[in-house]
Amino acid sequence: MKINPVFVEKLVTRFIEEEFSKLNFKKGILGLSGGLDSSVCAVLAARALGPKNMIGLIMPYKKIFSKDVKDAEDFAFHLEISFRVIDISPMVDAYYTNYPTKNRILKGNKMARERMSILYDVSARENALILGTSNKTELLLGYGTIHGDMACAINPLGDLYKTQIRQLARHLKIPKKILNKKPTAGLWPGQTDEGELGLAYTRIDKILYQLVDLKKPKKEVISSGFPKQDIEKIMKLIKGSEFKRKMPPIPKISDRTVGHDFLYPFDREK
Amino acid sequence: MKVALAQIRPTLGDIRKNFFIHVDCIQRAKKKKVDLLVFPELSLTGYTLMDMVEEVALRPQTDPMFKKFKALSRDLSFVLGFVEEKEKGLFFNSAAFFSQNKVLHIHRKVYLPTYGMFDESKFFGQGRNFSTFLTPFGKAGMMICYDFLHLGSNYLLFVGGSEIIIVISAAPGRGFSDEEAYASSRMWELMGESISRFSQTFVIYCNRVGYENGKSFAGGSFIYTPGGQLIAKSPYVDEDFLVKEIHLEDIRRFRKKRPYRRDDKPEIICEALKRVIENYED
Repeated sequence: MKINPVFVEKLVTRFIEEEFSKLNFKKGILGLSGGLDSSVCAVLAARALGPKNMIGLIMPYKKIFSKDVKDAEDFAFHLEISFRVIDISPMVDAYYTNYPTKNRILKGNKMARERMSILYDVSARENALILGTSNKTELLLGYGTIHGDMACAINPLGDLYKTQIRQLARHLKIPKKILNKKPTAGLWPGQTDEGELGLAYTRIDKILYQLVDLKKPKKEVISSGFPKQDIEKIMKLIKGSEFKRKMPPIPKISDRTVGHDFLYPFDREK
Repeated sequence: MKVALAQIRPTLGDIRKNFFIHVDCIQRAKKKKVDLLVFPELSLTGYTLMDMVEEVALRPQTDPMFKKFKALSRDLSFVLGFVEEKEKGLFFNSAAFFSQNKVLHIHRKVYLPTYGMFDESKFFGQGRNFSTFLTPFGKAGMMICYDFLHLGSNYLLFVGGSEIIIVISAAPGRGFSDEEAYASSRMWELMGESISRFSQTFVIYCNRVGYENGKSFAGGSFIYTPGGQLIAKSPYVDEDFLVKEIHLEDIRRFRKKRPYRRDDKPEIICEALKRVIENYED
């Protein structure tokens, strides 16, 4: 699970450079939360594209994460990328005034999609390409909002587990206050990923590594010393979130069907 | 003899659930005094398995589910499709013929479709043989789906003396037609008609139904007589349990009338094939 941060930094930076050049974009945009993943992504994107070509969007809801907003602003300033703060409260509240709910997951998802909607709007105005910040742990567990924070044009950190991103972050000298922050999806005050998942990332990632990367069957992972219920919980999350990692199914009718046998590479003629 | 075709809709990757679907069909067939029951390709596992292949694979010699199937085959023969782990880490798309408390024969799919919407070669090893075997009803040969669309495989079963050709299939439908059917269904029926007529065998084709990732398995299972006559056919797309009486005497009748098998020249074909292969340019 240990990465060589110098090599990984190079791979991801080159990837961003090459994708932008193939897709013919100069400018990149991403949502900055003041957390680890978006900070790491911003550093690498700023290196690949130049800080002047990077836009960070900070999109708080009310004042509930003002410390994170401050961290995000400070970090954007430090990276010398341009940034903008757009408050999503009026849009989200407008909806919930008419359709109230006490379900905080619903509200959290709505906020994630509001941010997505703004990111896409600003990206079109600025002619910028959206960089996603979902990591491998989140993608495998389905710990993200479909068409919300998972929506992007390219996803540079998608093959790095949370703990590996932390290794990379240390190498990139991300400020301690961001590095040591408890990971949160920012869905409601006091929410942490680990609290909600009921497991620490260090343990989740070790289990995922054995199940996914090493393709070990459940019983072998158990005998390597992890509790059965943790492994089963993780397997259930993986199985239950396949829909977040795929295009929606299309019933095959014709001879050539999108998603079935209309097969072209993403990098078609690029 | 009585033949039944179980045009079922297995659940992808849920081998327990599919086991019970099989047992239900077996009981149903027994009640109807069926002699031979045929399930579709990968009936125990579902088709689009991808990385689940290793999770649903069985070893026929030791698997407890196979033991139960053997016990169920005392007075009913049946064919089902499963993922076989032949050796450690070596997986095949296989068909097993159960009869008289035994597995009489296993066929491993030779032609693995790997084009367009198919990528079987990515997940399965390739079988190496088309052989015939003795059943309580005469000599039989088995093929799995795309195997059947190749002339060579059909010829080998013909040369091997098969009287009944059993094809198990998970064929997705594709293409428009004027009929209330996929265009691709016609392809299977054409092959069924031609092979049954020119190898003078029964052709028993069982396809599945249901959707997997939007792939729509077309159904339309059928039985052709050794004279090339369609005598039973399941609906397209819908589940079905088709039971039909066939007359093994038809084989003799048609082979006396047109002696294709008597007049076959496998030695000439074999020598000519060798010459063709020797002269390949690379």
